[in-house]
Amino acid sequence: MKSQIYVFILSLLLFAWDRAYSQPKISVDMGFGFYEPTLSGFDDNLSIQFPTKGFLNRNLLLNWGISYEFFNNARIGYNSLLSYEIGNNLEIVNSNAVFRRSIRYRMFPIETYFRWKPRIELNFTLTPIWGRGRIEMDTTPGDKTEDWNDLINSFGGDQDPITDMGATDVMISDWIGYGSKLGVRYYVNSRLAIDVKGGFMNNFYNNDNWRIQRQKVTGPKMKITDLPVFSLKIVYGIK
Amino acid sequence: MRGLVYTFMFSSLLFAKVGEKDMDPCSDPLIRLAQKKGVKAVPLKDILKFKKLMKECEENGGKEKIKQLHLRDWNRDYKKARRMAGWTSTHAMCVFVSFGYYFIGKIYATKP
Repeated sequence: MKSQIYVFILSLLLFAWDRAYSQPKISVDMGFGFYEPTLSGFDDNLSIQFPTKGFLNRNLLLNWGISYEFFNNARIGYNSLLSYEIGNNLEIVNSNAVFRRSIRYRMFPIETYFRWKPRIELNFTLTPIWGRGRIEMDTTPGDKTEDWNDLINSFGGDQDPITDMGATDVMISDWIGYGSKLGVRYYVNSRLAIDVKGGFMNNFYNNDNWRIQRQKVTGPKMKITDLPVFSLKIVYGIK
Repeated sequence: MRGLVYTFMFSSLLFAKVGEKDMDPCSDPLIRLAQKKGVKAVPLKDILKFKKLMKECEENGGKEKIKQLHLRDWNRDYKKARRMAGWTSTHAMCVFVSFGYYFIGKIYATKP
């Protein structure tokens, strides 16, 4: 029994020694993603004229991430894909509002890989997704100017100096999903690489799960599940 | 006294110059670290200094040494990563199957 304990301690020490001498590999990456969602809540909306759909505000995703090699041939990390849209002078009942819409796919990938050739790596990614939709709007609420003028008048000076004011409120929705990707990485040098990935993602989005000021509301209909997704990024190994 | 100070100053400058010339860039600790543990082991803050040292080393006849440093680095990474270890192959297979299932479904599945 005693010898077994010694063997156990010895193997633990060897494991710790190996860990201490292996290189932790932290890398950061930046690039673009491409996909094709159907945002019918915006595009087919008859009441409000949202910004016209195009490649930049529908298909392009801004991508950045960080990863850590925690095991031989395996990395874990964080990856964010952002779709963004902005529109000025959105005509609604009482305002010409500024409208901003973002859909962010936050991924926590586990990626395994092997080197097919000294400079070429094939990688395999499985990832849970925490998605967040955000709609932000600057509006002109009715009584706000009067309230602020009341407050400012109480300090003295000119009477009713404020003629126009705006307020920004946000509606948010969260959902979960998962994705899977196959990728090829070409190492330009031992630190710098170009990474191309292709795969799919499924998001369990429900348009009844939006909230604004802690009140549950119905949001836009969006088909963001069962989508092929591609990414192109530059990876730099920090350590 | 002033003469003594000038002599001291000039001699220190002279020694500094000699010291700088004597230092071999190929045997700098950073180059040795890269040779021993790989280029990625060089801290990011020293990367510009490391590049300068490599250039100087190449100019001082260490071209082969730098070439070997890079070659060894590529080989080290390649040897370490060319075979999947432990559970990683199972993970890769799961990804491959889900990827194949999805895209084959996209091509062949018919909508009801």
